[in-house]
Amino acid sequence: MSALQAARKTRSAVAMGLCVASAGVGLIALAFILAALFWNGFSGLNLKVFTEMTPPPGSSGGLLNAIVGSLIMTFFGVLIGAPLGMFAGTYMAEYGRNSKLTTVVRFINDILLSAPSIVIGLFVYEITVVQMGHFSAIAGSIALALLVVPVVVRTTEDMLNLVPGSLREAATALGMPRSLVIRHVAYKAARAGLITGLLLAVARVSGETAPLLFTALNNQFWSTKLDAPMASLPVVIFQFALSPYKEWQALAWAGALIITLAVLTLSITARVLGAQRTSK
Amino acid sequence: MTNVLTQEAPASRDQLAQKMSVKNLDFFYGETRALKSVSVPLYANQATAFIGPSGCGKSTLLRVLNRMYSLYPRQRAEGEVLLDGENILNPKQDINALRARVGMVFQKPTPFPMSIYDNIAFGVRLYEKLGKADMDERVEKALRGAAIWDEVKDKLNASGLSLSGGQQQRLCIARTVAIQPEVILFDEPCSALDPISTAKVEELIDEMRRDYTIAIVTHNMQQAVRVSQYTAFMYLGEMVEFDDTDKIFTAPKERRTQDYITGRFG
Repeated sequence: MSALQAARKTRSAVAMGLCVASAGVGLIALAFILAALFWNGFSGLNLKVFTEMTPPPGSSGGLLNAIVGSLIMTFFGVLIGAPLGMFAGTYMAEYGRNSKLTTVVRFINDILLSAPSIVIGLFVYEITVVQMGHFSAIAGSIALALLVVPVVVRTTEDMLNLVPGSLREAATALGMPRSLVIRHVAYKAARAGLITGLLLAVARVSGETAPLLFTALNNQFWSTKLDAPMASLPVVIFQFALSPYKEWQALAWAGALIITLAVLTLSITARVLGAQRTSK
Repeated sequence: MTNVLTQEAPASRDQLAQKMSVKNLDFFYGETRALKSVSVPLYANQATAFIGPSGCGKSTLLRVLNRMYSLYPRQRAEGEVLLDGENILNPKQDINALRARVGMVFQKPTPFPMSIYDNIAFGVRLYEKLGKADMDERVEKALRGAAIWDEVKDKLNASGLSLSGGQQQRLCIARTVAIQPEVILFDEPCSALDPISTAKVEELIDEMRRDYTIAIVTHNMQQAVRVSQYTAFMYLGEMVEFDDTDKIFTAPKERRTQDYITGRFG
């Protein structure tokens, strides 16, 4: 073996070692977090968590109102944000592929994608809470919608760009108008990817605390009214975890575990769907 | 027409109706001129082959005939392309109606991500409202017309993507036939197929001539001989020679045609 090859082998081994070490550090940290979460979360988890309301300090209770609040606001957030994102992404990939507007929108979208969610929360606070005069679930949903939009825009554009142009030409050659080509051919070909994007957006917003803190605030009681403050898991976790009360802290752990498992399930579903797309 | 081609055409060719006729067509990709004053007829119920080295403009010409190029903003055509005497380059031309009359089969098979049945029915539904029984019949007729019925009749609900490449291409032909066009354009339809599938598709094209006017772009000169009655040789965006296929391959008039078919370049 020449000296050159030996040097290369050493360098390769060093690089490899660094990669493995970094991956290890990340994974170990993650493992500790998950271990602590499961350990504390499971011990706080019981049927009451899913059947009772958040308790006042010093007494026992559950997270039902927070779980339902999270579901409601996530649902409406996605309901508002996903179509907006889909339409914008569709414009960028289908109609305005070469237009200036697309470049501008993509740039702004990337900024929105990485904007701190607390900024979004403050923005929505200004435009809704201040105007309405009180906190509300609808304000929370709008804040979540603003987080959904950039994720869905990005995945929609990417997934539609992956649809081969030859498929669009083939549909066009049958005399199909553009709107039908998009609806029946492009969307269909990109379906798995589009659903994956949607699930990832849901996963993203369902753990958000900051945008809800200034918009939906919190609610200790059962409420499904959209124009009133509403409890949500992340905000309850935030409040209870910082409290000095044992019962609240246990519920915070349980809530964190529920969110983590829900997001994990969504991510795995998204992955499986994504894998189906690539294997076809 | 005053171009050389028609003046020298044999008497028999004059009696054929021109389904389509390209006259002094120029085509531009941005600033690049890809077709230079091209003129060529497509005779009704005949197959016309377009041959020439890569980049000679034959595919470009084909994509003008159904205005496929209109999808792309920087491409434009100047001149005349007549379909039954009407200029399809007219801005008032309804493009989708044109494409219903002038179908196209592409180089790579492009089944839609849906069932075999829907691949056919989908196009039909654009133009006609058929009941279940009528649609079934239309789908079967189209699949039979593309010589693929026996292979797929038991799995019409399977995805079109589950078929082999050769079957996919015949499915695409069936899809094109199903909407009952008048002209069918083939853009190197066999270049992604194995020899057996190629033979099937070629045989099919030959049969389809009874019902349709056919234009086929091919790199394979034997294929041009096998399926076409007329052949156009193009080179560097120009129409070098158009004649009976027999003549082009046995006694071409142009030196460049002869060089190409004998393999001296291209």
